[in-house]
Amino acid sequence: MGIKNFIETVKESLGLDDFEKKNKKKSIKSLLKKLNDKKAKLAVELNNKKTSKKQKKEFEEELDITNIQIKNGEKILSKLEA
Amino acid sequence: MLKKILLPTILVILGYGFWISPDFKEIAAGVAIFLFGMLALEEGFKAFSGGTLEKILQKSTDKLYKSIGFGIIATTVMQSSSLVSVLTISFLGAGLIGLAQGIGIVFGANIGTTTGAWLVAGFGLKVKISAYAMPMLVFGVILIFQKAKSLRGIGYILAGLGFLFLGIHYMKDGFEAFKSTIDLAAFGGTGLKYLFIFTGIGVFATVVMQSSHATLVLIITALSVGQISYENALALAIGANVGTTITAIIGAMSSNIVGKRLAGAHLIFNVITGFIAIIFMSQIMYSVDIVSSAVGIAADDWTLKLAVFHTIFNIIGVLVMVPFIDRLVVFLETSLKDKAITSSSTSVDHVKYLNNSVLELPGTAMVAIVNETKHLYENAFEIINHGLNLKRANIVSSMPLEEVVKDVYSDTVIDIDDFYNRKIKGIYGEIIDFSTKAQSAMEPEDIEKLYKIKLANRDIVEAIKGTKHLQKNLVKYAASPNEHIKWQYDTIKKDLAELLRNINIIATTDEEDVILLLLSKAKVHAEKHDIIANGKLDSLIRDGLITNEMATSLMNDSAYAYDISKNLIEMAEVVFVNANSDLRDLGDDMMMSEEDIDNIVTKDK
Repeated sequence: MGIKNFIETVKESLGLDDFEKKNKKKSIKSLLKKLNDKKAKLAVELNNKKTSKKQKKEFEEELDITNIQIKNGEKILSKLEA
Repeated sequence: MLKKILLPTILVILGYGFWISPDFKEIAAGVAIFLFGMLALEEGFKAFSGGTLEKILQKSTDKLYKSIGFGIIATTVMQSSSLVSVLTISFLGAGLIGLAQGIGIVFGANIGTTTGAWLVAGFGLKVKISAYAMPMLVFGVILIFQKAKSLRGIGYILAGLGFLFLGIHYMKDGFEAFKSTIDLAAFGGTGLKYLFIFTGIGVFATVVMQSSHATLVLIITALSVGQISYENALALAIGANVGTTITAIIGAMSSNIVGKRLAGAHLIFNVITGFIAIIFMSQIMYSVDIVSSAVGIAADDWTLKLAVFHTIFNIIGVLVMVPFIDRLVVFLETSLKDKAITSSSTSVDHVKYLNNSVLELPGTAMVAIVNETKHLYENAFEIINHGLNLKRANIVSSMPLEEVVKDVYSDTVIDIDDFYNRKIKGIYGEIIDFSTKAQSAMEPEDIEKLYKIKLANRDIVEAIKGTKHLQKNLVKYAASPNEHIKWQYDTIKKDLAELLRNINIIATTDEEDVILLLLSKAKVHAEKHDIIANGKLDSLIRDGLITNEMATSLMNDSAYAYDISKNLIEMAEVVFVNANSDLRDLGDDMMMSEEDIDNIVTKDK
């Protein structure tokens, strides 16, 4: 057995690949939570009547970016869970 | 001069010794084989330091007790406090750990090294150790000839252990035969005078052999056959502890200032511990008797009692010194100053993290290169700010950008070439040179990462060059009576100021969502603010608001500003975003695609 195969077998038997996957899942879930919180905050700011036009434009842009990132994050999560 | 005399003198003494005594030859051969074993062992462990060791190190040294624990375990496994010290110096030099953590590791290594005495006294002398040496050597050498790096590493470790065991066997045999011709114990004695003499011999022997382990094995084997007295053996062990710092000092010579400080800490710690052991010798010996009888060591088992003594005095040393670590750090930082920092600000800046001692450790070398790139960016940040006529302090503050642009750094054009020559050129050259050398020990995937870091360095340099081109017109049109062109140049400045501020936040925060948002925003703004693409330039010309000359300048400078933004964003993505472990794990999938950016830019239009 080659050394690479040996390492793969050990990784498999110890469940190290799963461990990596779990870590990745944990990271993406925590990031998605932060992004969703951010999205909620931005929505509140956008509905606030006191927010200036310039600020609103800025928040809209941030909301667009956050939405794209949430979409990307969810895509990664569904791949990991598949 | 001393060096030139020392080596021939040692060789002559050894030659004379071999001529008059074949037993001495056997002991010396044992020491030589033992030292060769240490070299092989070190080589073996280096094969596994390509990332794994560094990862463990980063996670296990954030608290002092963890650093000490790491030092104990690493030295117990590697059986070489010198190797652990030298590796720690490399890690420190590369900026992987701080001085306090490094000191913790060295303290732990001092405790870890005592396991060697236990192994030799408890196992090495009681079992026919050479029986284990032979198969280890055979298997080890076979594995050394394999192509796979990890197999070679295992081979070196096995061969190293084999040689260590074989060396101990020869030393033991030599001393047993030596006893029948000369009784070394007759030269010994008791009292303070002999305590200092034997401590001195211990220091000298360790400095020559550069291994406290070898000295200790020599002491234990000599003690086991009664060639030295128990009291003299204790003094020799104290000397060996002090002498071992020479390896770290030699290792620190090729390192930077932090490495030198750690070697200083090692020396201070071992000298103070040695003094404590000498001053409280009778008390420590008494506690050795108590501990020995408690764990069932016979009253006349001097070799194991020596191991107990070695452990007790090193633990006492750590307990005494731990409360003073912070003061020790302050003392070393004030007494050993960085020449590059102490010299005037007009001097040439040098690399901070690159030193040849980390070239053999790919993971550490990578960290050193990333840290040096960050250092290069710090300098570039200053140059770009001044080149754009902005104040650095304003950028890193929360001052509104409109005010940041108005508060200019200088009324005249600053000499970017001079800044570049002093603060960028040398460091950039050394990063590229070091990277080229370091990649020869790296795996293909690491080489790919290194390539990206090299590109990030090039991006930094390109951004400075872009600033240089931009600078002249920025100053010129800042005082222009034409409000439109003045406004355009102020906008370019403001956009770049915003980018510099965002990169500064990215570099200093741990919040992944903030990093992602700011980086995405920077990408969107770079496209949005491109006045050639957004049609702004066309409308200025069409409406006759700026002259042809102004239009040409604005078109060129807008392109420079766009390139600066692109370069800095790409650099930040490699150097700062990938440094965040969570984001690095998620890879490029979380980053916005060009299509996403275009959609946001188009929506805004």
